Amino acid sequence: MTLKKVLITCTAWLVALIFVLPYAQMFLGALRPSDELTDAGYLPSRFEWSNFINVWKDSALGDNLQVSLMVAGLSTLLVVVVALPAAYYTARRRYRGRGAFLLLVLATQMFQPTALLVGLYREFHTFGMLNEIWALVLVNAAFNLAFAVWILTAYFSSIPVELEEAAMIDGASRLGALRRVTLPLAMPGIVTAVIFAFITAWNEFVVALALITTPEKQPLTVGIDSFLGEYEVQWQYLFAGSLVAIVPVVILFAFIEKHVVSGLTAGSVK
Amino acid sequence: MKRHLTAAVAIGLATAMTLTACGGDDDSGGDNKSIKLVVADYGSGDGSTKKYWDGVIANFNAVNPGIKVDLQVINWDDIDSQVATMVQNDQLPDILQTGGYADKVADDLLYPVEEVMSDATRADFIESFLPAATVKGKQYGIPFTSSTRQLIYNKDLFAKAGLTAPPKTWDELKSHAEKLKAAGVATPFGLPLGKEEAQGEFMNWMLGNGGGYKTGDKYTVNSAANIEALTWVNDNLVKTNLTEPNPGTKNRKDVYTEFYGGSVGMVNSNPTMLTQIKAKYPNLNFGTAPIPGKTGPLAETLGVCDWMMAFKKNGNKDAIKAFLDVAFNTENSLKFQQENSFAPVTKSVMAKMVADPANAQLKPYIDLLPKAKFYPLNDTAWDVLSPKIKEQLGLAVSGKTPKEVLDQLQKEAETAVQQQK
Amino acid sequence: MRKTSGRRRSLGPLPWIGPAVLLIALIVLWPVVEMVRSSFLRIRRSGVVRGYNGTDNYERLFDEPDFGQVLWNTAVWVVSVVGITIVLSLALAQLFNQHFPGRRVTRWALIIPWAASVFMTAIVFRWMLHHGYGAINTLLVDLHILDEGRDWLGEPSTAFPWMIAVGVFVSLPFTTYTLLAGLQTIPGEVYEAARMDGASPWRTYLSITLPLLRPAVLVAVVINLINVFNSFPIIWAMTGGGPGYETDTTTTYMYKLKVADIGESAALSVVNFGLVIVLVVVYLRVSRWNREAD
Repeated sequence: MTLKKVLITCTAWLVALIFVLPYAQMFLGALRPSDELTDAGYLPSRFEWSNFINVWKDSALGDNLQVSLMVAGLSTLLVVVVALPAAYYTARRRYRGRGAFLLLVLATQMFQPTALLVGLYREFHTFGMLNEIWALVLVNAAFNLAFAVWILTAYFSSIPVELEEAAMIDGASRLGALRRVTLPLAMPGIVTAVIFAFITAWNEFVVALALITTPEKQPLTVGIDSFLGEYEVQWQYLFAGSLVAIVPVVILFAFIEKHVVSGLTAGSVK
Repeated sequence: MKRHLTAAVAIGLATAMTLTACGGDDDSGGDNKSIKLVVADYGSGDGSTKKYWDGVIANFNAVNPGIKVDLQVINWDDIDSQVATMVQNDQLPDILQTGGYADKVADDLLYPVEEVMSDATRADFIESFLPAATVKGKQYGIPFTSSTRQLIYNKDLFAKAGLTAPPKTWDELKSHAEKLKAAGVATPFGLPLGKEEAQGEFMNWMLGNGGGYKTGDKYTVNSAANIEALTWVNDNLVKTNLTEPNPGTKNRKDVYTEFYGGSVGMVNSNPTMLTQIKAKYPNLNFGTAPIPGKTGPLAETLGVCDWMMAFKKNGNKDAIKAFLDVAFNTENSLKFQQENSFAPVTKSVMAKMVADPANAQLKPYIDLLPKAKFYPLNDTAWDVLSPKIKEQLGLAVSGKTPKEVLDQLQKEAETAVQQQK
Repeated sequence: MRKTSGRRRSLGPLPWIGPAVLLIALIVLWPVVEMVRSSFLRIRRSGVVRGYNGTDNYERLFDEPDFGQVLWNTAVWVVSVVGITIVLSLALAQLFNQHFPGRRVTRWALIIPWAASVFMTAIVFRWMLHHGYGAINTLLVDLHILDEGRDWLGEPSTAFPWMIAVGVFVSLPFTTYTLLAGLQTIPGEVYEAARMDGASPWRTYLSITLPLLRPAVLVAVVINLINVFNSFPIIWAMTGGGPGYETDTTTTYMYKLKVADIGESAALSVVNFGLVIVLVVVYLRVSRWNREAD
């Protein structure tokens, strides 16, 4: 029994190490002085902490970070606001067109914006929204909606309708029951939907590259890409910038990791 | 189930159509109060290109306060497809600066240069550019910046291998590379034949054997001279491990980065390397020399030129003309070439640059300009062929034979010529 | 609606699902229609549209000498990445479902590739695999497994397995978490019963855990099929599809075609969408999804 536990612990930590290693490499790469970028040693001869300062100073990363936060935050908000009622209604009612709606959602999941760039560009040109951050908010919200509707529908389905009815008998209005009973119970599902929408939007690259041309309006992913210059790869800045983009999400994720499992649980029962 | 899906799609379509009908084009017409300037980004994440153009626009507005210039700086990888999308959506730029112009001439989108540039400015261009700028006897392409190629080599590594002078012929190149290899140099000769710039690296070798992409009006990608050149490279440099491994998959920026790091002995260089070295690798001890050919150094080398062009729209001609005259005045043009270590496109800038002792290292590149050979840029088929060369040429040094690859590319060239008619 | 006639529901589903349908129709379906239309248009390189040209774009696409190779690559890519991901994730989910010291911390580590953009992960792998200074090569040389650094990404025969490895690496977190969630739904009593019957752990896993995990596996496979098929950044960042088109999938090939011919590229987009549908439908058929679905 104890031997088994030791074995399990060791394996788990080894797996964890494998998952961290590439990003540890990224961190070490970010600290390399520019004349040691192509040296083979595991560690640089000195840690060039100023890379982080330089990357911040010499580029639009500060603006990019703000844009990324805005795009990911607002599109996630939009996803939740739009998906919640749709999922709730779909879980609770057998309405006409329900099957069609669910199919539409599944079909959306199959499309990736990469394949639709030309159409997207045309569309936002028609809206007069090219080079506008709002265009990214809309695109990310629309493409992430499918997964949110899916997860939330499954989650609402798993919450017994009797709980709501009991609250209504106690004198709560329908919306009151929804707000006080169902939503709190659905929280893990909502958290999962939120984290998905947020991460996907945060990491979106291709659409932003095509629709946004002003450096200060580009999100982090695109800003970082520009360190792959025309004549040179600035590995140290590329990695330093990447870490700026990764660390906040990992921290956010770590905080709500527990909810993600229970949120996905409903989805997998479905 | 199926019917439901159809219904859903129908609703979606109806909504989309309605909205399309509402939002119409309103800004593609002639409005001479503002011009749209779309340019390629020459910097690496540092915003230097935007800064440069903001300066030019400020100069322009000092003389023409009434005209607003709307600037868009777009990354090199995306600029062509983005501009194509703009054209497809009737959202033409007024002035565009990018790598090629011929496709736009073929679809009658551009003004001939004589209509949008004063004679004085036009007369200033270096003559060797004009053939590549001219389609059916009329100049449409406006040379913006240029570069030529030279061999660059690491003097410290040369010393380590007991070498004193750069190679002049292919055979010397090979024996130099062998000595470098023996002295422990990881990559004696850097050969970026990956998809980023294979068409350029290949041209250096074709020119060294008297070949070329075209002979007269016809594409001759698989000419005997070209096949021989590529075969020589494959047999003598690639198969003997004198280049980086699998050069068909290596891009210029990676090989250059390794040259800066000191693990590459020689590489065919773009003058921009000089700026990078000066700014970030001041300790690198390097020299430059003409590119070796089969029997001697190349007198005519690859010249690369980037272009500006002016799009036909109602009522924008005067504004464009005014802007171009400012953009191409000696002061602005000089500033751009100096900042990026590019070679000039006008004689006045060339005279100034050559006279400036600060440009001693750049001068050999500039001196090659009057005899530079360009890609067949005045031909639309080239625009289709060039990406195919970039993607497929690397196969000639990994797996397939040079002849197979060049035969296939010749076929692509002939198809492209047919299609572009 | 009739069933709920006791309550006031005059507007029906519209206020509830309307915004979602509107958002999807506007932002997703419109470009889809545009894409299908473009696949029948003759679009010049400059962007000028010269009217409809029937199925020319499709014919040119199917005539491309490398299209067969690219399709084959795509099949290998999708099947291996999804297959390996599912198998490894089943093991990982089992592992991280145990109680052991530091479970929370190790689970955080598992999350990182999910939180990091795929593009950045692919780039860092490319850097670690560099023939001259990549850490993986340095390590292999130090361990005397290799005599000198190998150019893993330069040859299709080694580049493709590495790209599949990275594809698996970035797919593992989501898949493992989905399966972990699936494990939570299996009641403890089931295992008690099995233990009373004296079943070996392996037998218990095969006859109890795996069947009960089926719904979770189904979700994981479908989502992974779609994502892996459409995956662009890994291949683009690691080999760019080279040399030639030997490591391209239909998704990266589509991007390459766009440079020379927008119409042909649109035709491939349509074909791609068809392929995804076929993949998902075939999988659902094979796993007899309909039998258990509502």
